[in-house]
Amino acid sequence: MLSRRTLLKLSSAAALSSSLSALAEDLAAPDLRLDIAAVTLALSPRHKLRTTAYNGQAPGPLLRLREGQPVTIEVANHTDHAEVVHWHGLFLPPAVDGALEEGTPAIAPGASARYTFTPAPAGLRWYHTHAMAMGDLSRGLYSGQHGLLMIEPRNNPGRYDRELFLALEDWSGYLSASEDGAMNPSYAVSTINGKTLGSGEPLRVKQGERALLHVVNTSPTDVHWIALAGHELQVIALDGNPVPSPRRVPMLRIAPAERVCAIVEMNNPGIWILGEVRKHLQAAGLGIVVEYADQHGAPRWLQPTDLVWNYEQFATAPVQEPPPSGATIVVPLVIESKFRGHGAMESWLINGRSYPDTTAEPLREGLRYRLQFINKSHDDHPLHLHRHSFELRSLGRSLDGSGSASAPYIAGIIKDVVLVDAHTQAEVEFIADHPGATLFHCHQQSHMDMGFMLLFHYA
Amino acid sequence: MRERLAALLRSAPALLALALLPQLASAQGNYEIQVYGSETLPAHSLMVELHSNFTIEGQDNTVDGVYPTTHQLHETLELTTGLNGWSEVGFYVFTSEQNGHGVQWVGDHLRPRIRIPESWGWPVGVSLSMELGYQRPEYSPDTWTWEIRPIIDKSVGRWYFAVNPALERTLHGPDVNQGFAFAPSAKISYDFTPVISGGIEYYADYGPLSDFSPVHDQQQQVFAVADLNVSPLWEINFGVGIGATASTDHLIVKCILGRRFDWGRHSPVD
Repeated sequence: MLSRRTLLKLSSAAALSSSLSALAEDLAAPDLRLDIAAVTLALSPRHKLRTTAYNGQAPGPLLRLREGQPVTIEVANHTDHAEVVHWHGLFLPPAVDGALEEGTPAIAPGASARYTFTPAPAGLRWYHTHAMAMGDLSRGLYSGQHGLLMIEPRNNPGRYDRELFLALEDWSGYLSASEDGAMNPSYAVSTINGKTLGSGEPLRVKQGERALLHVVNTSPTDVHWIALAGHELQVIALDGNPVPSPRRVPMLRIAPAERVCAIVEMNNPGIWILGEVRKHLQAAGLGIVVEYADQHGAPRWLQPTDLVWNYEQFATAPVQEPPPSGATIVVPLVIESKFRGHGAMESWLINGRSYPDTTAEPLREGLRYRLQFINKSHDDHPLHLHRHSFELRSLGRSLDGSGSASAPYIAGIIKDVVLVDAHTQAEVEFIADHPGATLFHCHQQSHMDMGFMLLFHYA
Repeated sequence: MRERLAALLRSAPALLALALLPQLASAQGNYEIQVYGSETLPAHSLMVELHSNFTIEGQDNTVDGVYPTTHQLHETLELTTGLNGWSEVGFYVFTSEQNGHGVQWVGDHLRPRIRIPESWGWPVGVSLSMELGYQRPEYSPDTWTWEIRPIIDKSVGRWYFAVNPALERTLHGPDVNQGFAFAPSAKISYDFTPVISGGIEYYADYGPLSDFSPVHDQQQQVFAVADLNVSPLWEINFGVGIGATASTDHLIVKCILGRRFDWGRHSPVD
């Protein structure tokens, strides 16, 4: 039988052991480190920009993590305002997902935080600030706080010779009157990997190579259309998830926060431009030179005459019958805007309410949900669900009679962001298999700031 | 145009008449009654505006050969085209219709304008308009005039503010030696709905910069106005104005109807 003294000794030893263990964990070096600090970026010889970025660069460092292998990332905030880092597209607990609304702690000015998690799922993800900007067009996603994150699969099935990582960016935002009668952000400069067209190093390739492009649109608000002159792009993954029907396309449409992975056969030697299809945006800098080995001359651009893209082409064959809905819980989400004057941005409503007053029925673990996006507004919205992936089910059903009143059901495209066109309805389905607070929002920074968010809770 | 109104008032014979007959003090003008905003038209577009202004109560008599303004209907055609993202040029054709005179051509003006690009991120919109033109002596003793019009505006939520502290100079006519006159205008309006805005517009002519005219001889007009924002392609503004001094037309109604036309290629990649 233990004496009281022995018990006390054992208790003390156990407490000491626990404390030492915690201390050792604290003292252990993190696997990776990000420093958030002010930096002056040279977007071009003519454009210098003071902003906030990770590790003094924008995009931040490319992070390569191994699927299923735990990692600790230390983030130090050297700015004078609270920050938080969101690991976009990962299945993470709310405490480290990187959204204050879900309960991830803010990193106070001058403080550090550690994000420890097990990366999943595999594929192209990204990381970025999830702080609000609230009309300050130098904060939040308007700043340089973004970077690419590659979760390496345990087995990589891809066949390629070279990977090229590209971040599409818009800078120097300002509010201007738009044709919908409200103020919206516009941008003075656009870049790929922090440089305007012709200002940075070219992408160097060799004839006969298969280059795998990993493209992320980090823009705070704007969709981009990208083409590589003289080449087609074979889309193999959307938002980091392989598509069931890879297709060769002339250009990519990438909404804010979306990712596209595409194989390019380097079979047309020359000096080419990979850039925005729309002329004014390429003129604003959104492009990069692709240079074949032993080729010389001015970069060439072949101007497309139209914008061509749809998600459906990458799905499995169209599903003729609507999928069974008995076991699927439908969640209608009606999206509308509220006029606040021609000199202000609109506020945003989901089912008639703006965040933090938005509400939804609690999710029940293991059930399948169909989110029904009913976009009654004049804007297209890149809608993002945290901590889960969803499957696209239908897109583009017209709400105002201007287009098709029906839309085929599709299957097989797994994403975490979907662009829902103005005055249309779209549907996605997901399984509630990651309990915890889950944020849903439009990925346009200005829309998030103006109430376009909804927090799902699990029952 | 308001500068012609001011020019007439600055002319010596007219001033003499005004001194003797205050009821004649109202002079002619009011061809384009508008407070400018800082925006310029985009390239490859044309704005066609018709300014219709009717003087219900103004000057009743002919003064120094200049026709009375009461019951004059002024129709002004304004054609403006954008040159690039920060400049435009406008052209005006002024006409007047009145019993006994029929429809008369009054004159023409040319108005180039430049603006500070929005991408510069200035806290207010700023542009600068220069207006040069001719008007017949039957409608203004000062036939050639030049106007420099700075334009400053700002939208804040539902409120809109604009100030045009314009300077006007006579190049040919009785007031050629008077130098620049100060003719400011301003607007404040409120967006009641996305479509309907209402507000107040103020127009004045204080006389020569070097020596402001007595209040009696100054131009002071206030309009209650409404703007209908039915489409980015349309501009609709109407209002009722009263003159606060003896030198101002006392009651005017105005209407601006504008339609924008775009041309050139309209491919989505453009």
